[in-house]
Amino acid sequence: MTERIVDPALKRRSRTYAAVGAALAVVLAVTAFLLLRPGTEQGPAAASAPGTGAEGSGGTLVYLDAEIIAAGDIRNGTWQSTTLTHNITDRLIHADPETGELEPWIAEDWEISEGGLQYTFWIRDGVSFSNGQPLDAGAVQRNLQWQAWGDPENGIDPNNTFPQVESVEADEEDQTVTVVLEEPYSPFIKILSNWASSLVADETLELSAEDQQRPENVIGSGPFVVESETYGEEIILTRRKGYSWAPASWENQGEAHLEEIHWIPVLEDSARLGSLRAGEGDLIRYLQPSEEDPLAAEGFEVIGVQGSGQTNTWVLRQSVEELQDERVRHAILSGIDREAIVEDLYTDRWSTASSIVTPDTLGYRDQSEKLTYDPERAQRLLDEAGWSEHDDDGIRVNEDGDRLTIRALIDVFDATAAPLFQLIQWQLAEIGVELELVEVDYSNVSTGYSDESIGIVRTGWPQADSWVRIRNDWHFEGSNALFLQEPDEQLNELLEQHSLVQGSEREEVVGDLQDHLLDNAYVFPVLTDSQIFALQPHVRGLSWTPEARPVFHSTWIAED
Amino acid sequence: MSRSHYILKRIGHALLVMGLTYLLVWTIIFLMPGDPVRNRLDNPQNPVPPEVAEHIIRYYELDRSGLEQLLLSVTRLFQGDLGYSLANGIPVTELLAQGIQSTFLLAALGLAATLVISAAVALTAVFAPWGPVRSAAAVIPLLSLSAPTFLVGLLLLQVFAYQLGWFSSIRDEGLKSLLLPAVNLGIAASPPITRVLIQGLSDAQRKPFVNVLRAKGLSEAAVAAHVVKNGSIPTVTLLGLTAGGLLTGSVITEVVFSRTGLGYITDQAVRAQDGPVVLGVVMLVAGIVTVFNLLTDLLYPAIDPRIEIYDKSSGRGAAQEKTREKVDS
Repeated sequence: MTERIVDPALKRRSRTYAAVGAALAVVLAVTAFLLLRPGTEQGPAAASAPGTGAEGSGGTLVYLDAEIIAAGDIRNGTWQSTTLTHNITDRLIHADPETGELEPWIAEDWEISEGGLQYTFWIRDGVSFSNGQPLDAGAVQRNLQWQAWGDPENGIDPNNTFPQVESVEADEEDQTVTVVLEEPYSPFIKILSNWASSLVADETLELSAEDQQRPENVIGSGPFVVESETYGEEIILTRRKGYSWAPASWENQGEAHLEEIHWIPVLEDSARLGSLRAGEGDLIRYLQPSEEDPLAAEGFEVIGVQGSGQTNTWVLRQSVEELQDERVRHAILSGIDREAIVEDLYTDRWSTASSIVTPDTLGYRDQSEKLTYDPERAQRLLDEAGWSEHDDDGIRVNEDGDRLTIRALIDVFDATAAPLFQLIQWQLAEIGVELELVEVDYSNVSTGYSDESIGIVRTGWPQADSWVRIRNDWHFEGSNALFLQEPDEQLNELLEQHSLVQGSEREEVVGDLQDHLLDNAYVFPVLTDSQIFALQPHVRGLSWTPEARPVFHSTWIAED
Repeated sequence: MSRSHYILKRIGHALLVMGLTYLLVWTIIFLMPGDPVRNRLDNPQNPVPPEVAEHIIRYYELDRSGLEQLLLSVTRLFQGDLGYSLANGIPVTELLAQGIQSTFLLAALGLAATLVISAAVALTAVFAPWGPVRSAAAVIPLLSLSAPTFLVGLLLLQVFAYQLGWFSSIRDEGLKSLLLPAVNLGIAASPPITRVLIQGLSDAQRKPFVNVLRAKGLSEAAVAAHVVKNGSIPTVTLLGLTAGGLLTGSVITEVVFSRTGLGYITDQAVRAQDGPVVLGVVMLVAGIVTVFNLLTDLLYPAIDPRIEIYDKSSGRGAAQEKTREKVDS
């Protein structure tokens, strides 16, 4: 018997070939399956949408959000929680998202006394919470007291955008509520249109902080009611029967059109997008800018909504020595090409900011000229500031040989922040400024903001009254979030003044405030805050709050 | 040492492990900067004035010293109170109950998928009559080990949910909803088991008893059965560990398939630095892993009678004697 002699190396090699061949075969088979599979319909509404029909006929909207509603209490400021609040509660005042005009809602009318200390509200008749409790003057009184003073025993802090309130009285006979303030506070009426000022039933007011966090426990008078919640999985909203107290400017004056809303968090971007494409979801929030146009080309509607209020702004914090020099701050403003950022990273649903607030904000004053990209000016300013030499990396150094390095905290609230910060890092390197990017996770965001060695952080989100937040944040006696080393008296005066005066006088003050902030390059407005939604074409009648939260009261599902 | 004594000692060890785990995790959480309450109070989107913040910190008893907080936490633990989530106000026990239910179902099916995949691949790699098929099968564990779990999950969703529409990617369809994530888990968890099984089977195949069996004229199938029985011991160890691991939840699989099991809850809690929930999850997981390790140890003798819990009265010699008898028979 002859024995075949096989070279062991050859044997090993042939085994490897076989293995690689088999692996390739598997990959090819999967690819072939994907490519040659029988044509399945893709694109908008490939699957049948639940509940179809003409306006007013009901149906179910499946809303896939990018974030989970951890807590549903009305003070919770997260984007997703405030959207829920807006759809299940009402407020005394309504702010028109188009005009910003304030109109009556649960308060039929209101009157502000001479001197601005006393506010009287006339409460609309016939409104009730979903548990049957009438929303009358007494209920409003208890809500306003709870807002103004909080409930420390139950772990509830006061609404920090509220004025200092001396008293809140209710007249059951006339159905009026009278609020007396300790000092004039012109943003008060606007503040009452904000989500945090939503009206809730006594049953909710009496609960502890933990119990108020459960969405089911938030009893409001809004067009939808929380039917059930499975934490992290789904919140089901049902239409509030008999709802008939929408603000006068709303198209739909009766009950909501939709029978139900299934509010499902799908955290994985591609899973959310895939579910929309497969027709399982009707509406999704947030997609990567690179996905916007392809999705629109497939026939989905892609909407970028820009909320009214503060823009996405960088604070140039003076806790860092380098940024205490005004010339360095101005150089940063001139050294960043914001147009290129929008062009390279975003789509036309995004835009650069022209001030620290959006143009529809009271008292907006255009600051674009101070934000023009001018690298020569930036270089000149840095030379003048003593950063005239460059090291081997091209980074500027001063006469002591210190590099011009500034640490910037990557924004955790914006899903597009990482590429945005990286592009700015690259742009600033061109003028010899090294931006060191610091990354923290969501749970450590407050630690990041309190780290004084960090020179740049993001601020600015849509708000009912931006100037209140700006005063709280930037006043030297407040949070001093600009980290000024000594008080800027002019800034403090402007911040104090604006809430004490009304109308055009207030517009003038906040206009001057914007000039002052940009003239001193305390802050750098980058972009307007855009929220991107994609929806099936059969979703109609979606509307928005001024802060860009979707309102589903007029929404309906059309026949495909 | 009697068997019951041995078991009691193991349980004692397990409890010690749990106690130390609690202390360690508690200390880490306490020492870590930031927590959801302070994050809420110092949130740059909505900062709370210091005097109000003080009230709130007192409400959550975060103003107490570390030792006081630990004592409070241990006292409550013995009363069965794991506290509330600081991020969403849900009692920790309720969150864990929700998570374990979802995870248990998924883990059971995931383990089944792991077993099926591992067994199929290993048996093919060892017993397939054609060389190239054996080699190809031997490469599969490497392939599935290199494939990122989230990618495999998304691919499964892409094909079976989005393209073919056989499954819903977002709705709970009962048992059906478990299939894709279970396969995903199976693919992710199988490579080490498959490798060990292949190794075990190959080693067993080369043992002298196989020649004895063949010499006795047994069929190849019967020989293979003996080989499988002898070669799968290390696999059982690994399977026990895997089951423990699967039961503790898979963050990636649960997030991709939008299932709110323990992995998902852990992910959310860690992101929000939600101390009570993290502590609760870790304790539960420590308990599960400890129990599975114990079960694995107790399962060995059932598979291979040669392995016995060391018993002074019978001694090692007796065990060897028994082995010889078995092989001779």
